[in-house]
Amino acid sequence: MKNRRIRSSLGDKIFKFLIAIFMIVFVLVTLYPVVNTLVLSFNDGTDAVRGGIYLWPRKFTLKNYSTVLALENLSIGAYITVARTILGTLISLGLNALLAFVVSRKRFMFKSQLSLFWVITMYVNGGLVPTFILYRNLNLTNSFWVYVIPGLISAWNMLVIRTYMQGIPDSLEESAQLDGAGYFTIFTRIISPLCKPVYATIALFAAVYHWNSWFDAMLYNRMKTEYTTLQYELMKLLSSVMQQGGSADTAKFGSGQVTPVVIRASATIVTMAPIICLYPFLQRYFVAGLTIGGVKE
Amino acid sequence: MKRRFISMFLVSAMAASMMMGCGSAAGNDSTGSGASGSGDAASGDVTEFSYFITMPGSEINSDNEIQQVIAEKTGVKVKETWLTGQSAEEAVGTLVAGGEYPDYLCTDDMTTLLDAGALIPLDEYIDAYPEFKNEWYTEAEWEKFRQPDGHIYWINQFENTHGDSKKTTHNDEAFWIQNKVLKWANYPKLETMDDYFDLIERYIAENPTMEDGTEYIGYTILCEDWRYFCLENAGQFLGGYPNDGSVIVNKDTMTIEDYNTSDDTIKYFKKLNEEYQKGIVDPESFTQTYDEYIAKLSTGRVLGMVDQWWDFQENVNGAFKTQGLDEAGCNYIPLGLTTEAGMDNRWHTYDDTVNCANGIAISVDCADPEKAFKFIVDTCMDQELIDLRVWGLEGVDYLVDDQGLYYRTDEMRMNAADTTYKASHLCPYSYFLSWGGTSFDGKNAMRVDEQPSEFMNGMATPLKETFDAYGVTTYPDFIGSVVEANGPWFPMYSYSNGFTTATPGGVAWTKMGECKHEWLPKVVMADDFEKGWADYMDAYNACKPEDFLSEMQAILDTFK
Amino acid sequence: MEKTASKKKFKIDWKEVKRQRFLLIVSAFFVAYGIVFYYLPLTGWLMAFENFKPRLGLLGSPFIGLDKFKFLFSDVAFLRVIRNTFCMGVLNLATTTVMAILFAILLNEIGNKFLKKSIQTISYLPHFLSWIVVVGILHNSLSSSGIINDLLLRFGVVDQAINFLAHPEYFWFIVAFANVWKETGWNAIIYLASITSIDPSLYEAASIDGADRLQKIKYITLPGIKPTIIILLIMNVGNILNVGFEVQYLLGNGLVQSVSQTIDIYVLKWGISQNDFSLGTAAGIFKSVVSIMLIVLCNHLAKKAGEEKLF
Repeated sequence: MKNRRIRSSLGDKIFKFLIAIFMIVFVLVTLYPVVNTLVLSFNDGTDAVRGGIYLWPRKFTLKNYSTVLALENLSIGAYITVARTILGTLISLGLNALLAFVVSRKRFMFKSQLSLFWVITMYVNGGLVPTFILYRNLNLTNSFWVYVIPGLISAWNMLVIRTYMQGIPDSLEESAQLDGAGYFTIFTRIISPLCKPVYATIALFAAVYHWNSWFDAMLYNRMKTEYTTLQYELMKLLSSVMQQGGSADTAKFGSGQVTPVVIRASATIVTMAPIICLYPFLQRYFVAGLTIGGVKE
Repeated sequence: MKRRFISMFLVSAMAASMMMGCGSAAGNDSTGSGASGSGDAASGDVTEFSYFITMPGSEINSDNEIQQVIAEKTGVKVKETWLTGQSAEEAVGTLVAGGEYPDYLCTDDMTTLLDAGALIPLDEYIDAYPEFKNEWYTEAEWEKFRQPDGHIYWINQFENTHGDSKKTTHNDEAFWIQNKVLKWANYPKLETMDDYFDLIERYIAENPTMEDGTEYIGYTILCEDWRYFCLENAGQFLGGYPNDGSVIVNKDTMTIEDYNTSDDTIKYFKKLNEEYQKGIVDPESFTQTYDEYIAKLSTGRVLGMVDQWWDFQENVNGAFKTQGLDEAGCNYIPLGLTTEAGMDNRWHTYDDTVNCANGIAISVDCADPEKAFKFIVDTCMDQELIDLRVWGLEGVDYLVDDQGLYYRTDEMRMNAADTTYKASHLCPYSYFLSWGGTSFDGKNAMRVDEQPSEFMNGMATPLKETFDAYGVTTYPDFIGSVVEANGPWFPMYSYSNGFTTATPGGVAWTKMGECKHEWLPKVVMADDFEKGWADYMDAYNACKPEDFLSEMQAILDTFK
Repeated sequence: MEKTASKKKFKIDWKEVKRQRFLLIVSAFFVAYGIVFYYLPLTGWLMAFENFKPRLGLLGSPFIGLDKFKFLFSDVAFLRVIRNTFCMGVLNLATTTVMAILFAILLNEIGNKFLKKSIQTISYLPHFLSWIVVVGILHNSLSSSGIINDLLLRFGVVDQAINFLAHPEYFWFIVAFANVWKETGWNAIIYLASITSIDPSLYEAASIDGADRLQKIKYITLPGIKPTIIILLIMNVGNILNVGFEVQYLLGNGLVQSVSQTIDIYVLKWGISQNDFSLGTAAGIFKSVVSIMLIVLCNHLAKKAGEEKLF
């Protein structure tokens, strides 16, 4: 008995060592592109075209950020993006959870058919033009709601929640029903509190989707500056910087101009920063120690 | 815990209702501001038009200063919207599906808009401005824009020279070489590819590395996606033909010829193959991306390449300046090489190449087409407005000397290139009609970059020396192309670009492109050129190029 | 209906319907939503059978039957892009799934909370970089003078720099690596969430029994997240043909185009850029049909093996 313990702890030590190596390599490899982007975002644009910038700016400048932050519609874009992120995330999380709850009830008579109905939606796509016509007929084009309403249910997110819910013992539902609780009560009071980790995960996915979206703004609200999104404004800036060719002026100065590579970098950092700041608040739900067991609460 | 969850829902529901409130309030607001906008229009009589251009471009701020000045003078303000992250075809597809059009439109695919009934005929408006009509195009050129129903729906904005041409740059394709290599050989006259590569070989043999020890690359080839013109079509120029792009037109017999299989092209690739084996051609040529290519050129270690001016000069020359490499003689000089010495070359096109396939159009949804058209005319016929668009505000963006010539200080140039300044201050309205050549008063250039003082400014000493050594004043002079009028079919690529898979020729055209993308690098790298070329020809002929050529011939026949 | 229902041991009768009315009403709402936003646009599939012109609309365009499908399947190039897409899809799925699970489990073994959270935060960051940034760095690293060749040369693995991107045989693996690089941390989030649902008392009991770390992973962690693994696997198998075009387009070049082009690139070249919406729709239908067949098959296999199923 004693022997085995020592052996296993030796094994544990080797194991720990291997994990450490793996994690160090992993962190270095994943951190590099991010650091490189950060570095480029502080480097002079004309200079960056030469390449060869890795871990430290060669020619430091804040011009890239001042160019991004000087965008006329940046604040409108940010406001709309925050609004759609909050609204879109909360509503879609609620609805996805509700749907997941319905299809995860073992007694529910259509659970299999309803699942299939939603599974199929993941793999079919009517295409750009029919979708556009539909949204126009629903009066969703040229409005804020085109950001929220079409993406409310995502089969993928719903099925992830469902899988998690299926892992919750039926006995909880049954005993609640014996106490006279209806399905809605079971959903809100019994199941949902146990699903916090998966809700946090899906909320993160949905929020990031909304935060990064720009294609819908471009397609449906191109002419409506008041409904522009942050990413769309950044994309427009990038596209315009890429288009600046033809001006002989730029070539005449060795430096001081923004170029696609640095604008892309600073736009990426501007987008990432808020997510990194908010992340710890969600993270505690799904990267907790083993001490928080879901079902045991 | 439970309570908190429910409250989360409540909050979201509340937020939703609030947003709905806000949303509709905002909606009201926007109609309100729209109304107040038209109220402004009543006082200042400014009409706001929208303009969608299916090209990437730079949006300007809504309070742009020069836009405001132009609006005060013309009563028109145009909000331009550009293409972002979508193909032009998709954009037009959704536009037509939606059935709501901006006031002005410009896209590569005008025919779809025309077929959809989105455009209004411009004939009567054009006739209402005879001065403009005569100035902008000749009668024959206007005819080219006439659609099958007999009306003109769009006017192309570019490639139109007023008065004397002021072209200083060779914007097209050429073999380029660093001026220090020319200086090293005491400015020789290079006429053929053999001369060119011989010089590069000799230079590298004597100077294998740069001062900092970086090895020179004799010649690199950009092949990334559509930019593979840097590899693909030099054969037509080497044979002395102009840039018809997809085919050669034999003017004597009025027949279409395929430059892909011409003797000039075979010689060209054979030479590249030879140089590849010698190690002069960059071994990374065929895998490098555009960014890597530009970075490579920017280090000054690449002595030569084939490219078009607009594709590299801005970035590369800027980087040279940063490092002082321009003073070290790294700037590139274009050469008009041919297969044999003494042949005429057509690398440079002197004529305007009027593109009748697209241009600016006015949509059926435009409330005041008369005013919209007047604005098109004003912005290209009134020198004051042209100066505002091109140069900016006098005293702020440019100065005028005693002779009435416009010039800029370094600070003004710096501003003109600044993204933020451009958005808030400059208003080029770049997809309205734009002139090249000389201004209406005959003093200045219509384009800033063609103003002699602007061109000569900041030119590095070695570059000036090279200009002097060859006794030239502009880049096209280096090439020395013959001046010869192009046929009315020129350029043939304007037709092949419109080919689709609906016809066998279109299918063949796409397949030929794919085949060349894959095989041309292999041909250059082949150990045995003859075998490599034969294998390539097998693959090439399997694409049925004859289908493509016969359709091009049919188009050419319409000009007989 | 009643028959299958009774098999599942719940009897369906009026009483049961009444009991489930909340579920039924909610379902009806979701079905209506799904029909409007996901199934109604499928009328666009008509385009695949006609020579679609935007001005004529969906109903007015001339009908051409199966011509577009015939065009696709008679083109050797299309068959080749199916092969490329399929192989890259399988390779990507296998590598990204294994790496995400491995990373999640190993991360979970780290005792120090701060360290754990920091590593996790770093790991998902590349997800926010656009492909053009990630591929740009990868492209540089793989070039003759890049870091990979530098290391290989320094350690004497090769004696001449390899131009990796000129060799078709490496291409699929480079694409798989790019996906692993960018998405491992992000994909692992879902497994991490799943691990938190495992009852900690199981680990305590195992410790008392003298199980070492590997045994705990094998007998507790992995079985605990198995349902999640299987569901994600089935869903992703359906996405095998959706490997996209960005990475392949950005990494590809003429020399490797016979292995680098995917269905999406083909559609861009032959459809969208030539204003042919019908061809793209036909290819889209083909992908959908294959996807649905694949998930039905996988679901069936999972059901047979007594595992979690998708529907």
